[in-house]
Amino acid sequence: MMIPVRCFTCGSVVGQHWEDFKARAVEGEEDPGAVLDDLGVGRHCCRRMMVSHTDLVDIVAPYQ
Amino acid sequence: MSTEPNSVADAEYDVTFIERGPERARFLIRGITPAFANGIRRAMVADVPTMAIDTVRVVENSSVMFDEQIGLRLGLVPLSTPPGEFEVGESVTLSLDVSGPDTAYSGDLVSAEDLVQPTVDGVPIIDLKEDQRLEVEAEAVLGRGESHAKHQGGIAVGYRHLQRVEEVGDLDAYDAEESHVLRGVIEEDGELIATEEFDHDLRERYPGKELAVEDVPDAFVFHVETDGSMTVEELVSEAIGSLEARAAELREAVQL
Amino acid sequence: MELRVTERQDNELSIEIAGENHTFMNVLKESLLETEDVTAATYDMNPEQSGGQTEPILTIKTEEGVDTLDALEDAAGAITEKTTNLRNAFETAAAA
Repeated sequence: MMIPVRCFTCGSVVGQHWEDFKARAVEGEEDPGAVLDDLGVGRHCCRRMMVSHTDLVDIVAPYQ
Repeated sequence: MSTEPNSVADAEYDVTFIERGPERARFLIRGITPAFANGIRRAMVADVPTMAIDTVRVVENSSVMFDEQIGLRLGLVPLSTPPGEFEVGESVTLSLDVSGPDTAYSGDLVSAEDLVQPTVDGVPIIDLKEDQRLEVEAEAVLGRGESHAKHQGGIAVGYRHLQRVEEVGDLDAYDAEESHVLRGVIEEDGELIATEEFDHDLRERYPGKELAVEDVPDAFVFHVETDGSMTVEELVSEAIGSLEARAAELREAVQL
Repeated sequence: MELRVTERQDNELSIEIAGENHTFMNVLKESLLETEDVTAATYDMNPEQSGGQTEPILTIKTEEGVDTLDALEDAAGAITEKTTNLRNAFETAAAA
């Protein structure tokens, strides 16, 4: 759906980095690890929030 | 610099910053007992109150998310909370009105109170398509972390013992190959060195040496991060103040 | 903070401290143990599952002739002293 606002484990706010991360590492060619380092998402609990996320809003949009 | 444990009751504390930023810091406290260190840590996580959206009146929500999902996402947005300005339970009204096609961000929240503002503007709340609209009025309440994680000012708050590293001899060739991983901060002849500096591997710094590593008694390195609702310094001060207030209250109650 | 004495003898006291948890009780217990003439101090959080009792109960034992409530008062005072010292030390380091 939408990127979670905070990391489930530690509570750090991660949502604001998603659009950057998506543009650079998911749709772009950059190395995801390097992008996360650059964004300051250091702990692996926060990193998995970004790495494992899929935007589904566009898929469910027609149904409501 | 003496690192031996002093008699705790009249110990003078000694604080040294190792890493310092407004929302993330590491500092060493010498002369602090484990129970007191843990009391402060717990107070930072569960007792220092922060503002967070708690009640949402939905005027219009034609987005693909349910009202309560939107409510949760709004609740998790950190709001600036200057210490001492509000009482626990006091509330501030915020509103948000975004029409699609557009994305509603945390920065679109408009607060009725200058002191209480979203500290991060770029968190997407919901992506709105053509003809979708989100209009809400929200009530932010000052609450404690023990009631809900959204009121938790401290993030990943923890501490480790300061480690003292001493060279005690040379290793034979076979043992020298083994890595010796250590995380935290080490003390070498009174100098503080974060283990990041040698990639957390003591072999990088002391090649071929046999080492003695021990916890320094009553010396703890705290790692404190905040969600932005206040600075690290404010958070630590508030946590100490929370213990202090309770001790004063107990003393008064006993005297009666 | 509501106090309720559950048991009291000459040199022994059990007191319920309503509304507190490990955060404060552990600090208080340690402060009591550092207090002069206190021979024993402990607290019991008694989890809810074990039968209704949820407020922590503090138990103090003191030397002959020393009032347990005085010891508790001293221990609470010692915490205030510690917090003041620590805040000063922290603020000095933060201002540097």
